Amino acid sequence: MIDARPTRRFAQLALVALVGVGALSQAHPAFAQAARDPQAEQFVQTRAQRVITVLADKNQSVAQKKATFHQAIDELADVPKVTNFVLGKYARSITPDQRQRFAAAFRVYAESVYQNRINDYHGEVLKVTGSTVRKPGDVIVNTTISGGQVGQPLPLAWRVMGGGTSWKVVDVQFKGVWLAITQQQDFVSTIDNAGGNIDVLIGQLQRDAQRSASR
Amino acid sequence: MNGAPSRTSTNTPRVRAGAAALIAAGGLAVSAVSAHAQNAAVQPPLVAAPVANGDSVDTVHDPLQGFNRGSFGFSMGLDHAVLRPVAHGYMAVTPSPLRRRVSAVVYNLGEPSTTVNDILQGKPKRAGRSSARFLINSTVGVLGLWDVATGMGLKAHDADFGQTFGRYGVRPGPYLYVPVIGPSSFRDGVGRVLDFFTDPVGIVGGGYTTTFGATRLGVQTVDTRARADTAFRALDDATDPYVTARSAYGQYREAFVREATGEVQALPDFDNDTSVAPAAASTQPAPASPETAPAPSTTQ
Repeated sequence: MIDARPTRRFAQLALVALVGVGALSQAHPAFAQAARDPQAEQFVQTRAQRVITVLADKNQSVAQKKATFHQAIDELADVPKVTNFVLGKYARSITPDQRQRFAAAFRVYAESVYQNRINDYHGEVLKVTGSTVRKPGDVIVNTTISGGQVGQPLPLAWRVMGGGTSWKVVDVQFKGVWLAITQQQDFVSTIDNAGGNIDVLIGQLQRDAQRSASR
Repeated sequence: MNGAPSRTSTNTPRVRAGAAALIAAGGLAVSAVSAHAQNAAVQPPLVAAPVANGDSVDTVHDPLQGFNRGSFGFSMGLDHAVLRPVAHGYMAVTPSPLRRRVSAVVYNLGEPSTTVNDILQGKPKRAGRSSARFLINSTVGVLGLWDVATGMGLKAHDADFGQTFGRYGVRPGPYLYVPVIGPSSFRDGVGRVLDFFTDPVGIVGGGYTTTFGATRLGVQTVDTRARADTAFRALDDATDPYVTARSAYGQYREAFVREATGEVQALPDFDNDTSVAPAAASTQPAPASPETAPAPSTTQ
């Protein structure tokens, strides 16, 4: 009984101290940021938010969302650049005819798959939290997605390229995992395993897109 | 140490169940690339400077691919047969706000282990933060049901032995897909074993042989699998799910290690000539990039 009070006081002090240490560690960002790019940030804020708003809109039918997403993707992403990137080393050996067929198949595949992915977040509000200029015209924009069914805000980073007021997304990162980089490794491995035959990948993408669309 | 599932006990079935569940949970914890630490709001350090690397990316070192692919196929089959139906059932009968409370409790019980690794990494501020979070959320937050600490400015972060090794420069080594346990590497595999034996909550709670331990493990398993559901669905869309899982795991873990080292990520170049002039025979590399030499080790 006599000991109880000092013990409690000690516990309170310890708690305060711990909270203090924790709060202090919040005081300065861990990494001094290089230059930010307000225009790239503005682009992501506007365009990415628009896509998320469309996908979160409960009043739109699945078909309507698909149509809007189809249109929005060109405003948001640099489709030719991404299409080329995901081919990795095969971007150099692909024939013009294959490239054309691949681009068409990848477009359909990516639209249905990426729409599903963004949908998975169930978020509603995108907020830009900062950006890092890797080099002029190549910027990582950090955002969080919240609202909807999202508990804690989810950090999501967008790699955008361009300049001035003209920007396009080339990659998106969640928990350290970049979408296009992962996609490239997936595709290159598939072509490798087919003995370098890109047509095998094209065929598979066409089948996957149909399957994904029917879900 | 008393938490080792192999410990002799009078209650053999329970021990065996605990061991099986441990393995399952272990597998989930790593296969759930995006699920691990869903609550953590700390973002991995992003790129501050370009380290162009041609148009391809170095992938995980995978000399055991034959074994790993077999192991992956087996594990995914098991997931389809057992864990996925259980997780989907759980998701069907519980509303997401309730599932978030369950996740919060599971996450809170992992905080002491985070603190251990924060200390080992020589990061007292992070250790202070994770231990303060544990104290506050366990009390004010009612056994971790509510993450009140985040509201007080104490954001969550994660730490484990794999990261601690990485912090001191240990490379991941060969990629390893352990049957049922999931994607790992030599470094992270050793780390996971150490995580298990040094987990303060596991030690105090008497390991997985006690009712508390077994319940924690069971709940953790289902919770993790449910939160990983989108990651599993992403694998369904991949043309080579094995490589997609390997790539995502490797990127996730390296980003997690960079969080401790403060290093900057090397990103591949999107600016190759091939992308601007698709039809052209082209491909003089941009002056700054190295030769467009065949992508180093894209996959095997």
